[in-house]
Order: sequence, then structure tokens, then C-alpha cells
Amino acid sequence: MASSENDVPKLSKEMCNRLLSDLESARRPVLEAVKCSLDNSFYNPKVGFLTPGDKRVRTELNVSSVQKMSRAIFLLEIFLRNLETGAVNTKREIYYIAKGEVKHDPHFGPLDFADQSESDSVIDFICEMLECYREDLNCFANDRGGQTYSQQLVVTETLPDGDKAVVDLSSLGTTPFQPKNRPQSLRLKAKKKIDFCLVVESEGTANTFVANGFCRRHNCILLGAQGVPSNAVRGWVKLIQDELSVPIYFFGDLDAYTLQNIYRTLKAGSAASLIRNADFSAPDIRFLGVLPEDIKKYDLNDYPVKENDVQEARALKKAHDALKNDPFFKDKKNKGLSDILNWLIKNKRRCEQQAYFTVDPRDPTMPEKIIVEKIKRGDYI
Amino acid sequence: MAKEKITSSSTAEYFSKNLQQVGFSSPTKAVLTTLKEAVDNSLDACEEAGILPEISVEIHKMGPGTLKNTDLLKVVVSDNGPGLEEEDIVKVFGEYLASSKFGRGRCSRGQQGIGISAATTWAQLTSAKGAKVITKTKDMRLAISCTVMVDIKHNRGVITDRQTFKSDKPHGVSVEFLFDGRLQLQGEGGILTYLTGTALVNPHLTLKYKIGEEAWQDIPRVSNEVPTIPDAIEPHPHTMKLGEFIAHSHLFGRATVATWLKKGFSRITDNVIKEFITNGADKKMFEQSIDKTADEQFKTLFSAVQKTTLMAPSTKSVMTIGELAFSKSIRRLGEIDFFAVMTRKPTICDYKPVAVEVAIARLQNGNQNPDEQGPVQVLRFANRVPLQFDKAACAIVRAIETVNWRAYGLVQPKGGLPTGDYVIAVSMVSPFIKFKNASKETIDASDELVEEMRRALIQAGQRLSRHIRKENREADLENKTRHIEQFCPILVNALCRITKAPESRKKKANEGLIKLLGRDVNAARKQVEEAAEEFRVAREQGKVHHIDDGREDLEAPIDDTEVDAAAEGDAEEPARAAKGASKSGKKSKKAASKPAKKSAKASKGSAKERSL
Repeated sequence: MASSENDVPKLSKEMCNRLLSDLESARRPVLEAVKCSLDNSFYNPKVGFLTPGDKRVRTELNVSSVQKMSRAIFLLEIFLRNLETGAVNTKREIYYIAKGEVKHDPHFGPLDFADQSESDSVIDFICEMLECYREDLNCFANDRGGQTYSQQLVVTETLPDGDKAVVDLSSLGTTPFQPKNRPQSLRLKAKKKIDFCLVVESEGTANTFVANGFCRRHNCILLGAQGVPSNAVRGWVKLIQDELSVPIYFFGDLDAYTLQNIYRTLKAGSAASLIRNADFSAPDIRFLGVLPEDIKKYDLNDYPVKENDVQEARALKKAHDALKNDPFFKDKKNKGLSDILNWLIKNKRRCEQQAYFTVDPRDPTMPEKIIVEKIKRGDYI
Repeated sequence: MAKEKITSSSTAEYFSKNLQQVGFSSPTKAVLTTLKEAVDNSLDACEEAGILPEISVEIHKMGPGTLKNTDLLKVVVSDNGPGLEEEDIVKVFGEYLASSKFGRGRCSRGQQGIGISAATTWAQLTSAKGAKVITKTKDMRLAISCTVMVDIKHNRGVITDRQTFKSDKPHGVSVEFLFDGRLQLQGEGGILTYLTGTALVNPHLTLKYKIGEEAWQDIPRVSNEVPTIPDAIEPHPHTMKLGEFIAHSHLFGRATVATWLKKGFSRITDNVIKEFITNGADKKMFEQSIDKTADEQFKTLFSAVQKTTLMAPSTKSVMTIGELAFSKSIRRLGEIDFFAVMTRKPTICDYKPVAVEVAIARLQNGNQNPDEQGPVQVLRFANRVPLQFDKAACAIVRAIETVNWRAYGLVQPKGGLPTGDYVIAVSMVSPFIKFKNASKETIDASDELVEEMRRALIQAGQRLSRHIRKENREADLENKTRHIEQFCPILVNALCRITKAPESRKKKANEGLIKLLGRDVNAARKQVEEAAEEFRVAREQGKVHHIDDGREDLEAPIDDTEVDAAAEGDAEEPARAAKGASKSGKKSKKAASKPAKKSAKASKGSAKERSL
């Protein structure tokens, strides 16, 4: 497995050399990768995140796979060039770079991608073969989500040229700190003791909390996840957990989608990213709410799951499957979370995080008060 | 309750106010229904008289109609049938429920005697003109021309403008309707769809038609055999409800209950009556007259009948088009590439004899891009009459949707109709077709019937898949060969650039790769040969036909061995066969080399009942 970008060129060359040797002796080259799927996922509460099993995907070179293999080697060459020069690209840019190569050299014509999904899947294939992140290939996603506010946090970033940049979040005013897709280059320090870190599902609500003075009143780190967490958010939360050892709480909607796709991914990673869960999950994060009992306790406005809403219906179906097949929800340690899934399936109701604003519509800090009270009382899972 | 006078209405009055129930719900449907009723009558009359039908259809726009967005249309349908006697003209065209076929248990197109009278009523209501009829029987010296109107108040026909004249035709009927309608040619409710569909399931029909200013079109017959309509059978007691059961007894006439049961129903014998007694029927009632039997006694008898296991009704009353005639007829659909036909042995569904036939054809020069292809064209037929509306709820469409067409090489969205330039024609023949409405547009989808149709479709799909498989294998081989030429140098060059390998390694790797992939191509070539052999065998057995083969000997012995395997609902079988081409190739060769005792036995049985 590639542990850093320095290994990627070496591993790539080794792999290509092996392929070439096999071909020289008319042997069918076989490439193996970890099978990234739920049926190859294991969960050990002591480890805290989903880990891969022994299942592997074998890709044998034959007439049917020669196109895929050729495309992979074609893109790999582009990535190796980038690594050599330090250039970085997004997946979309790689798609256009590949199109440009084809345009300038007609020999590459058969490799042409019809759309970005084709080049994306080849990039994923390369990552699986080399067991690396695409960031290791200098291929970055845009930095989505994770806007962070704190009066106590200081971030030190090691730049590619070795220089260090220090960012004191308290000096940014209302401007958030945006974590990068490669949090490995960041180091964290607390100016003063930090009591907790709060991850809010909705970035808009996180901004509201900050504007209302949440960070001034509490020694905390507050960040918005912006829906399903990107690698940047996942790596950033993991970094906060590892470097600062502060309790981390997640505050989001009470629905199956949030629980499975957002919270579970933050806490234990996902089946699709089995090989990177170790670096991109924060097992200590706790689910603060909205909890099913909060609806009654705070008289929150909830509403029924619409059967005709495709996304909600699919999430409920997935919840059924998760209870049966997902090792994370099946584990006894996460019984509290599987109980919530059962409650959602049974009651077919959902409640949004913003419902806390109904408790006292004239007090803009009421959600903050409830959250802090819940933390103090240990009212979380 | 208000004291209002209760009045009675005539049947004609009812239908004149409810024409939508019998196919006149829109101006577009009115054209099709009028044409359909006239053609059905002509075909039935010709077949009854053993005459090879020659029907001509003319449709002209005569100006704007009186209804909004309609044209005044003239529809003329002429046949070479036996002709109508003068006294029958008013009954046929001017009186509701006057039919020679009502409840006879035969596979005729018309059943109740409503349709053509409704067409006259529609013409009368929209253009104030009745049906203009010309008839000549072979015994008439002069042909008779007249106009028939429906006396709606009294449900009877009224003749006006009667004239006689000399006609060159030896016999036949010509009927002309002038009415408001909207002409639709193509699509599900289109006139041309109806005419080509009618020609498909009536191979013995010569059809000429002229629509508007277009030239006359001629669809000559492909079979010179007039189908013999099998004799009627009596109803099976298990198909009736108590009320029908009692009504049936009163319609039967004066007889003892035992005589009525034995002669009025199929599958009731003296031994069966003994079983009725064992199951609770009163022994004495069998010798008493029907008239003296009380409703309570009928009720007891009826429940004893329901408790008794009876033999399924005979399938002899069912007729089929036959694979040979169907094979020839399908070529009349237009430019088709290849096709497969399947005629199932008549069977019993819901205690009613039923025969299902399927033809699947691929249209030539269609859109080859699978992403742009719409659903297949479905042609539905009931007693050899095209059904053109309300397809979603029809048993035929339900059956098509339940088949896994992907296993046979067709593209199919989940739970929907397959897509592509194919025509799937399903014909169902039965003396007792259960329609969902009086306009006979949709066959009721009972589970048994859908299953029977599904089996026929699976068998036809298997036959078709042999051709598609061969094509796929050829395309696969071409693809593989192209891949070697295209990708080998690219892959090896890139690997050599990354590893900085010398020219000698590049050459060796290129050779090795070509050798490797060449093995795959050879395997693919072998698969193509096997699929071609499999297809050749199937063609020799008449299971699938390529339109370019120029063969006329399309008689197809039915091999029920493979059919039964699929009919058990094992749709995975063909899928497996498609995957493992070499295996299926061997299997098919084996099957072809065997004298196929089983199939001979099966076809013997079916041929007997299928002979027309």
C-alpha cells in the first residue's frame, strides 16, 4: 500500500515492470485490489472504523479488459508526470487533460473518454490497484465543507516547499478556516483548553450559531459538515480527535440518511473507502441529536417520511438493509444507533436539526442552550 | 321517494346514449371501430361460407364534420362473402343484439350483435344518414341497394331508398358509412396499424385499401386455406355463477334437470351426476322438469357442482392460425430482418379453452442505437381481431412485461416492455374470451391466462435468441479483433515509457500480448462458429427464420422438449445458455442429432388439434 506520494511513482513503476515482464513471456497479467464493498467490511469497536476483509478483486488482462488497462496506464502516466512536476488537478481537469492528449496525438484515439464518469472510474481503478488515495496522485477534489470556527484553535500548515504557515482561527473574525483535502499536512494546537468540538450537519446552521456568538461563549471548535462529509471534513475531524483529544459531537437531522450516510461515515468511514477509513474516520464522535426522545422532550415539529419521496424512501430501505448487513449497526456497541434506525423505520417520521428553533422562537440562542445542556447532561449516544 | 314515472327503454336507446361503451368514445376511435366492425362481419361471413375473403376498404374525407375538430368521413367496406338476404339487412345493421353468434361458444370475431348497429347509430347521430348497404347473394339476379336506419325507440332497423341494379359481382356485401370522425393512420389507434394487424392474423385474406388521395394498396393472401371454425362447445359448469346457472336452465327449454345438465354443459355425464348426489345434490330433482325446480334446489345443485371435480373442457373448439401461415403472414408487416413464431397447443385457462400464438419480428433499417429505441411494437389479437386501446391493463401486455427479455438479447427496462425495433404479436383465440369492456379492447388479465401467454412468449423468445446470440457473438469477435489492433501498441508503449524499457523489451512484450489476446479471439471465433451452427440447426428445424434465406418451406415441427423446460418458468435457463455459448452449442447439437422422439410425440398431439 502506498503510504505517501513518494511511494506512488515507485509502486507504479514496479507494477508496470511486472506487467511488462508478464507480457514478454506471454503470461496473462493479473492485478489485484481490495474489494471495497459492505460484504468485505468488518467492524471492531476497539478499532472503531470499518476495515477490509480478505476479499480481493482480480482484474485479468484479456481482450475485454485491455481497454480499461490501457486507459489506466495512460492516466497513470499523466499522474506520474504531475507528481514529478508538483502539478495538481481535479478529476474534471484530468478528464480534459486526457481529452487534450488524445487531440494532440491521434494514436491515443481509442482511449478517448466519452464523459467524465469514464475517466473517474479509471482513476478509482488506479487508486485501488496502487491502494492509494487520489490525493496521493495529486488529484484533489474541491475543498467542500468543514468551515471551522474557534477562538482557541491554531493551525500550522506545512507547505509543499517546506515552509510553515500558522493560522490562528481567533484572528479570522467571522471568516471560517477551510480545511484542506490533505489534512496530513496540518498540525493543531489549542491556545486555551478546548471543551468540545461540535460538527453541525448544516453549514448554514453552523454559520448562524457563530453569528449568534456560540464560539465567544464557549471554548469550542464549531464546524459545518455540509451534508455527506468530503474527504477534507472526514480527515479534519479525525485530526481534531487525534491531536486535541477533545470530545466531538455531531448535531444533525433525525433521519435514516443522516445517520447512515453522514454520521456513520464520519465515525467509522464507509464501505466504498475501506482502504482509507483508517485516516478518514473519527470513532470518538458522538451523536448528540436530534434524538427521537428530543421530539417529545422539546415538543419539536417533526413530519412523516413521504413515501413518494424517492430519496427518503430509499434511505428507509437502506436502513432496513443496514440493520441486517452493516457490521457497524449490527455491533452491540452501536445499539443506541441501531435503535434509532429501528425507531425511524417503525415510526416513519423525521425531524430536522433546525426544529430546535421552534422551542423559543424569540430566543435565537435557544438551540445553542439546548445543545450545551445536552452535552452537560450526557444526553447523546 | 319522489313519485316519478318509471319508463322502459329499448336496447337501441341505451346504446345510442352510451356509445362510448362500445368503442365510440372519441372521433378517432369512432373511425377505427366502424371499420373494425365492418371488416369483422365480412371476415366472419366469408369463413362461415368457406370463401377465401377479399375485402376492400376505402376511407375519404368529405369535408368538415358537424362536431368540433372532426371531418365528415366516408368509410366503405366491400367483401366477396355470401351476401345478405334482404330480410337480414335490417337485423344486421339496424337492430341491437341480433346476432347469429350470440353465446354459441365459437371462435368467431363477432359475438353479441352490437358493433355494426352501433356504427349505424353513430353515423345516424353525427351525419343524420344511416348505413348504405349493397348486397347480392348468389341466388339474387339483381343486387339490392338500400339505406338502413336504426329506429332507436323500438330497436329495429328501417330500410329506405331501396333499389335494385345489375351487378358484376356474383355475391358479397358492401357497406358505406358517412359520419363525423378524426382520421389517425399510424400508432396504436391507427387505421393502418389495424389493417396490417388484420392481415397478419388472417393469412387467407386479400386486403385492398385506399385512404384519401393515396393510391390503392394491395396485401395479397399468403394462404389459400379457409380456416375451418371448429364446432361450438357447451359451457363448462365451473365457469358460471348461480344466476347464470339458473338462467341457462330456463333458456334450455323443457327437459329434465339430468337432460339439461348432460346436454347443456360440457363434461357432465351420468357418472358425474352420481358424484353431484354424493356431494349433496337432491337425487330426486334430476328426474323432475326444470320448470318445476325451485331456486333453492338450484342453489343446492349448484354448490354440489362446485364441490365436484370435473374434467377440463375440450380444447377442440379452439382454432389457431398455425405456425406455417403465421410465418408467411408476418412478412406482410413490412421490411423485417428475422422472426420467430410459436403456436402453443390449445389449453385450458380458467376452465375455458384457449390457444395462444406469438410472432416476434425484427424490423429492418430501424434505429440501431439502443439508447434511442422506444418500446417494442405490441400487436394484440383476440379471436383474430386487433385490439388497439387500453393496452396497459391487457393480459397480453402484462404477460410480455413478466418475461425476462434480457435473457434473449433484448433490452428491457425493469418491469416494462422490452425496447427495440421489434414487433411482438400475440394472438389469443377462445370461444369465451373475457374482455374488460363491451368494446372488446382489453383482455382480462387472469393469472392462468397471463401464465399461458408468458410461456408462449418465452418459447418464441428462445427461438429468437438464437439469432440474436449469433449476431452478438459476431459483434463480439469484431470488437475483440479491433481491440487487439487498437490497444496493444498503446498499452505496451505506455508501459515501456513508464519503466524506461529498451526497444527489445517493447518488441517482445508486443508479441506476447498479441499472442495472449489472440487466444481470446480464437475462443471468440469458436463461439461464433458454434452459435452459427446452433442457428443453422434452429433454422432447419423451422424455429427461427431469416428473411433473406429465400426458403419457402417454413413448416415448423414443434419441439416441445425445450419449450417445456422454459414453460416451467425457468427463464434463467436461456440466460445461462446465452452466457455459456460453448455449452449451449453442444446442447443444441445434441438435441438436433437426436431423433427427438419426445418432440415427435408432442408435435403429433398438437398437430392433431392444430390442423386447420
